[in-house]
Amino acid sequence: MSDVMTGEQKEVFVAKLREQVGSTGTPSTARDPVNQPMIRHWCDAMDDANPLYTEPDAASQGPFGEITAPPAMLNAWTMIGLIPRVNDPKDPASGVYAMLDAAGYVGVVATNSEHVYHRYLKLGDHLTGTVKLVEVSEEKQTALGIGHFVTTETEYHDQHGEHVGSMFFRILKFRPGTGRTASAGGNGDTPAERPPRPRPSRNQDTDFFWQGSRAGELRIQQCLKCGRLQHPPGTRCPACGATKMGYTVASGKGTLYSYVVAHHPRVPSFDYPLNIGLVELEEGVRLVTNITDCDSGQLKVGMPLEAWHMSTHEDVSLPVFRPARASRNPTTLTFDEVSVGDELPLCPVPLTPTLIVSTAIASRDYQDVHHDRDMAIKKGSEDIFMNILTSSGLSARYVSDWAGPEAVFKNLKIRLGAPNYPYDCMTMSGAVTAKREEDGEAIAEVSFRGQNSRGPHVTGTIDLALPRS
Amino acid sequence: MSLKYAYHCAIAGIGATPFTKESGRTPMDQAVEACLAACEDAGLPPEKVNGMVTYSAEQNPEIELARNLGIEELTHFSMVHHGGGAACGVIAVACQAVYSGAADYVLCYRAFNERSWHRFGAGVQDRPAGAEASEVSFSWSSPFGLVTPASWVAMFATRYMHEYGATSEDFGRVSVVDRSFAATNPYAHFYQRPITLEDHQNSRWIVEPLHLLDCCQETDGAQALLVTTAERAKDLQQRPAVIASAAQGAAEDQHMMRSYYRDSITGIPEMGLCASQLYQSSGLSAADIQTAIIYDHFTPLVLPQLEEFGFCGRGEAKDFIRDGHLERSGRLPINTNGGQLGEAYIHGLNGIAEGVRQIRGTSVNQIDNVENVLATAGTAVPTSALILSQPR
Repeated sequence: MSDVMTGEQKEVFVAKLREQVGSTGTPSTARDPVNQPMIRHWCDAMDDANPLYTEPDAASQGPFGEITAPPAMLNAWTMIGLIPRVNDPKDPASGVYAMLDAAGYVGVVATNSEHVYHRYLKLGDHLTGTVKLVEVSEEKQTALGIGHFVTTETEYHDQHGEHVGSMFFRILKFRPGTGRTASAGGNGDTPAERPPRPRPSRNQDTDFFWQGSRAGELRIQQCLKCGRLQHPPGTRCPACGATKMGYTVASGKGTLYSYVVAHHPRVPSFDYPLNIGLVELEEGVRLVTNITDCDSGQLKVGMPLEAWHMSTHEDVSLPVFRPARASRNPTTLTFDEVSVGDELPLCPVPLTPTLIVSTAIASRDYQDVHHDRDMAIKKGSEDIFMNILTSSGLSARYVSDWAGPEAVFKNLKIRLGAPNYPYDCMTMSGAVTAKREEDGEAIAEVSFRGQNSRGPHVTGTIDLALPRS
Repeated sequence: MSLKYAYHCAIAGIGATPFTKESGRTPMDQAVEACLAACEDAGLPPEKVNGMVTYSAEQNPEIELARNLGIEELTHFSMVHHGGGAACGVIAVACQAVYSGAADYVLCYRAFNERSWHRFGAGVQDRPAGAEASEVSFSWSSPFGLVTPASWVAMFATRYMHEYGATSEDFGRVSVVDRSFAATNPYAHFYQRPITLEDHQNSRWIVEPLHLLDCCQETDGAQALLVTTAERAKDLQQRPAVIASAAQGAAEDQHMMRSYYRDSITGIPEMGLCASQLYQSSGLSAADIQTAIIYDHFTPLVLPQLEEFGFCGRGEAKDFIRDGHLERSGRLPINTNGGQLGEAYIHGLNGIAEGVRQIRGTSVNQIDNVENVLATAGTAVPTSALILSQPR
């Protein structure tokens, strides 16, 4: 094991890891050609509704005249799938991974992925990937653990030998249990030690509201006679005088009417700065709530929001709100319509276990850390976590939903930070950061970030070729 | 509706303790000192007092205070609800008492160790989760961390800024004005310590959009005022500050500090209700007011108060302020004692005492030719206001 290695032994070990740097492995051909079922599975899992990927009629009217695969799927086609992994001893990257596994660096996370797309893939294209080992780092202490970064470059060719794309890829192989946070124990302000939030008081007049939130419903008092809604609830309708009051279940959609960001004094039950909003529901009434899953700097009066229910006590849930996902842009932005500095609307991605597992499988990534909690924990993770192909896929969906279906991806570069664990939420934000003409194309660069409760999960850029009119 | 006691009552005496951050005394001891000072100021033996009015937030019961003051009988005693919203309300109720004959001389008082004992700024985080309506009302905000007065007011401020284009600097200008008057008031905590707009902008966030310097002080101290009829006041030793009018207001869909559910939340309709009562019963208008005490627990709500009283149009307070109208030489110098940001926070009652000094001509920051002074009470709560005038 590396932790008992002397300095000299370490040097020898690193030298051995680096013996194959610069070498290229045996070309590996995808098990299946680019095909509609796998595309459909990907689009379902990523919730990507771009019709150019799945609807022949729409695709025939599109820039390629036929169905194309989502560009972010580039490295999914040659993923090995769920078959026993036989490492090719001649493959330099596999050899390094095996050496690291044997030395105890069994934990693995991908940290960087940079795709370049020479052309979009069509149904029937059959890819071959050739991997070159580019770099093996010195041993490094990271938040996750002590380990080595391994960098590869893969070139993809179709069945005719045409160079269709390439990928720069970096992973961290680390020893579980050696992370910075493992011994430091956090800052002593973990949710477990924290007193619960002030408990809502309730009585016969207001109980329906809290029962509703516990049941996942946002209930607004409604006069049973004249139908008027009111919040906070009362005992009698001030409009018509009726004393029989019921409730309606609100859609949970609303906009931010006003907000504050609390800094001082600090109540131990809360994280500060604390976003508190006054939300106007689409039904017309307002309520005080928290705006979760966005930075205070991203709050704007009028921003669309959607409700969720935060469990705070054994028997209490609070209706709180997060930025609402904007609807997909059905038309495509033209180059003239975008300006540097334009902001993309915020987009929440609730991190359900279903999302994490289904997207891993849809990208043919059967690494156990993405679907098997016991194995994920054994390998130094807190839980299963999202795989990097999905981070790419969701980033692509986010930008494509804003830009429109016919925006053509020239590349997709991402870097990962805080893992996406289940039950958190990642909120995407982005902006146009450059515009340029290149090889006769009108290119807009979009920079984006996906942030979860631990920090930025993904940051990256995409170059989009946009139509000129 | 016309208030029958308009011009029939007066403030005849004012008294206060020093305003400190740590009095080292009980609030009761300070209440006694302030009440005795008010009586002495008026030249009235304290045992002649037979009415007492205070805030429902007051923790020094009038009967204990009366015993300490040597008052044997009280024929009127009452409390006004809703925190600082009671400031002019206690005067209004005292007017009703002396005008109706329920009492002859009424002491209005407020005393607390609001800095060294119980800080209001800490909010209601410890409020019990009971089932009474007053407790249940906090359920709509406290579980979300909206627990402090600053945060309750900040919610109005953000919306006001959004609708009217007011900025943090506009709020800051109110703070700068208050502190400029405090700087020349030896009784003010911030005596000789003016601030610049830059100081305001650089002060730390309390609750965005409120900086520290948008928030009033917390103070230990006591203030008392002696109210009687205008007729009786003539026989006392000070020039009476005639109460042209004093009124209370609670408006439609009123909540305690959190009236967030009205069609619009950028105005203060309960203050508008006070304004219309005052102007109607006194026959005065904004043009007749030379200086004002505008309640300033937090700067943002000074702006809509100026609008409710007609000193400027709706949404135009920012321009009125930018034009310097609140300053010493402006159209409407406000809070010439330094306000609650600069002098002290005695729940608004110290401001009314400053209004009395402006009528008497004894303010350390005296404004020329003062005929009428407006004073307002706590905003975002059911509130009150009054106009003091020169005796006729």
